[in-house]
Amino acid sequence: MTGFDLHRAWSVARKEVMHILRDPFTLALALGLPVMLVTFFGYAIDFEVRDIKVAVADRDSGPAARRLKEIFSASGYFRLLETDGNPVEMLDSRRADAALFIEPGFSRDALAGRPARAQFVLDGSDNSKGAVMMGYLPGIQRAAALRLYGSEPAPAPLRLETRFLFNPELNSRWFMVPGLGAIIIGLLAILLTAMTVAREWENGSMELLLSTPVRPLEIIIGKLAPYGLLVLTGVFFVYLSARLVFGVPFLGSHLLFLLACLLFITAALSQGLFISVVTRQQQVAMQVGIISGLLPSMLLSGFIFPVESMPPFFQYFTMLLPPRWFIVAARGSFLKGAGAAELAVPLLALAGLSLLLLTLALKKFKTDLEP
Amino acid sequence: MNPTLKAFIKKELIQTLRDVRMRVLLFGAPILQLTIFGLALSSEIKNVKLAVFSQPGDTAAVRLADDFYSSGWFKPAAFSPGEDPFELIGSGRADAVLLMPPGGLSRAAGRGEGKMQLLVDASNATKARVVEAYAKTITARAAAAYGAPAAQGLSFDVRVLYNPAMESALFLVPGVVGMLICLVTIILTAMSLTRERELGTFETIVSAPLSDGEILLGKTLPFVLLGLVVFSLVLTVAHLAFGVPVRGPLWQLFLAAFVFIITTVSVGTSISTLARNQQQAMLGGFMFLFPAILMSGIMYPVENMPPSIIAAAYLDPLMYFMRLLRSIMLKGGDPHVFWTNVGALALMAVVAAGVAYNRFRQTLN
Repeated sequence: MTGFDLHRAWSVARKEVMHILRDPFTLALALGLPVMLVTFFGYAIDFEVRDIKVAVADRDSGPAARRLKEIFSASGYFRLLETDGNPVEMLDSRRADAALFIEPGFSRDALAGRPARAQFVLDGSDNSKGAVMMGYLPGIQRAAALRLYGSEPAPAPLRLETRFLFNPELNSRWFMVPGLGAIIIGLLAILLTAMTVAREWENGSMELLLSTPVRPLEIIIGKLAPYGLLVLTGVFFVYLSARLVFGVPFLGSHLLFLLACLLFITAALSQGLFISVVTRQQQVAMQVGIISGLLPSMLLSGFIFPVESMPPFFQYFTMLLPPRWFIVAARGSFLKGAGAAELAVPLLALAGLSLLLLTLALKKFKTDLEP
Repeated sequence: MNPTLKAFIKKELIQTLRDVRMRVLLFGAPILQLTIFGLALSSEIKNVKLAVFSQPGDTAAVRLADDFYSSGWFKPAAFSPGEDPFELIGSGRADAVLLMPPGGLSRAAGRGEGKMQLLVDASNATKARVVEAYAKTITARAAAAYGAPAAQGLSFDVRVLYNPAMESALFLVPGVVGMLICLVTIILTAMSLTRERELGTFETIVSAPLSDGEILLGKTLPFVLLGLVVFSLVLTVAHLAFGVPVRGPLWQLFLAAFVFIITTVSVGTSISTLARNQQQAMLGGFMFLFPAILMSGIMYPVENMPPSIIAAAYLDPLMYFMRLLRSIMLKGGDPHVFWTNVGALALMAVVAAGVAYNRFRQTLN
């Protein structure tokens, strides 16, 4: 009776597959959701800010002020709104994102070749936009030097030439899509297993399953494998949409990437299993699944906010999150052409976390069975 | 109020809060998450690993490298001089490599040809952009020391309103608050209603002397209340622990939250009428929630998205709530912004509640 019997695990798996097939809605969602979301957001997410509404208070109304406004409009980033009132009020009411103040005397100074100043006030309530706006100002200054003063600034004795490696055009989709896929798939794996196993406890069918000669490990493998396969199919679809729809290059090794996917999926499935064994109730399982899955994987995994910018404690803390490692592996495989040497650390970390989560789940599962 | 309805609401509250784990999850988890995200997240890029390659004995290059490291943005990457810079970035041991001119920096700069090359890992495009901007700032400062003409002509006085230090907590916390409320209300409502139907206890409720509207009210009002309690809790923590200001009047904040929560609870109810089991309810909630979060402007400005998606974002209640939170908390709650966005939310709440009521009645009969 001891040991692991593949036949018994297979029977459990077959039963689970029938469960999944009987519920086409869940099946369709599990397969379709990742692709749909990745495609949708691949299109939606763009960090370049255009069409910034700038309220202008031109109290100079000389020729140089007019030219400065033309420079703003011509940059393609700004849309100017003339106003007689207080532009800051337009910022309060969101009718403008920034305000430009040109004080009297601006044209006099500029035309005489003296330094001229203008004030630029921007809405800081949305950081992601504010920082981008500030980044556009040096370009305006360069254009102004040429068009207001008629002189190209002398070349500086120190110059910086930047080369962007792996993504020369800084296409944000290239780095968003692999990360987004990771998050959606990881979350789906956690939630699906957490809920199905919790449902068996809730319905009381788990007791029934346990009274059969099937061993706990066989139950676990049998229950996880079909979901693993389901999620892996989802990964495949996401991969196809990344390559075909968004043209994200894949420079690394497919074999290593597959290994990373398998390890990541195992970790996510084990996390789901552990949650369901501990909670035994679908509502609670779902809450825990979302709390431990959705928000950390979106916000703490390096998907948007780089891990290195976090305080030291959290940099260590994120090491416990599988998506953090998978995102490194996915970006490495897609964009950087990472080989076995580069991927060794993330792969080992994923393997370690999978093993840890699976052991925890199994232990809890077994102790719960003893009277 | 109908005493049966009152008893019914009480029963719903007891049923949801009976479980200790549920109480902890409902009230404890949002606070814990807010604290973690508030402490950990920063949209400022820091600790960029930089490797500087220079000739031995090039003291000017060493000084410039020190400028980079002392800026607080960069930290030295560990490497040995003979290494391939591309390899260094490829393996992730450095995020950027600065290659000094081969003849020594001060000599090249003296000839006016101090061209340095910066290699940046752009596998994270946003980060790469910021790293380049940092490097340019530091280089410009150093160039001034070599007698570069000061930027001639136009200069800007830049002032940042509402969040002068561009502190990330101030901008992220309202976002996280909105996300958490959304999670608690939509998914919880959808699942709890579906669960009742799954267990068959729904029939018992239907047989009670209550009208359809009262049943719906009895089932949803507790979640509206829970949502408001969670909102107040999270808000208190945001204010006390992170110093997020509430510059506008409190009533605006709570009216906005109330209308928003009615919308989300109605969405949850509608989802529950479509779902046959709790798993489907969860997936349905997820299908609503994921786009709602990503389109809300919490992480990316809505205005950046393509027109078709902006159109979809206008159907996202979280987007209006987000605008309201930021406007009231950081900007002092401009009445025009408040009423237009609350109006839009109220319209959505009415439509969503109408749909929920209709669907709910159909499932009852």
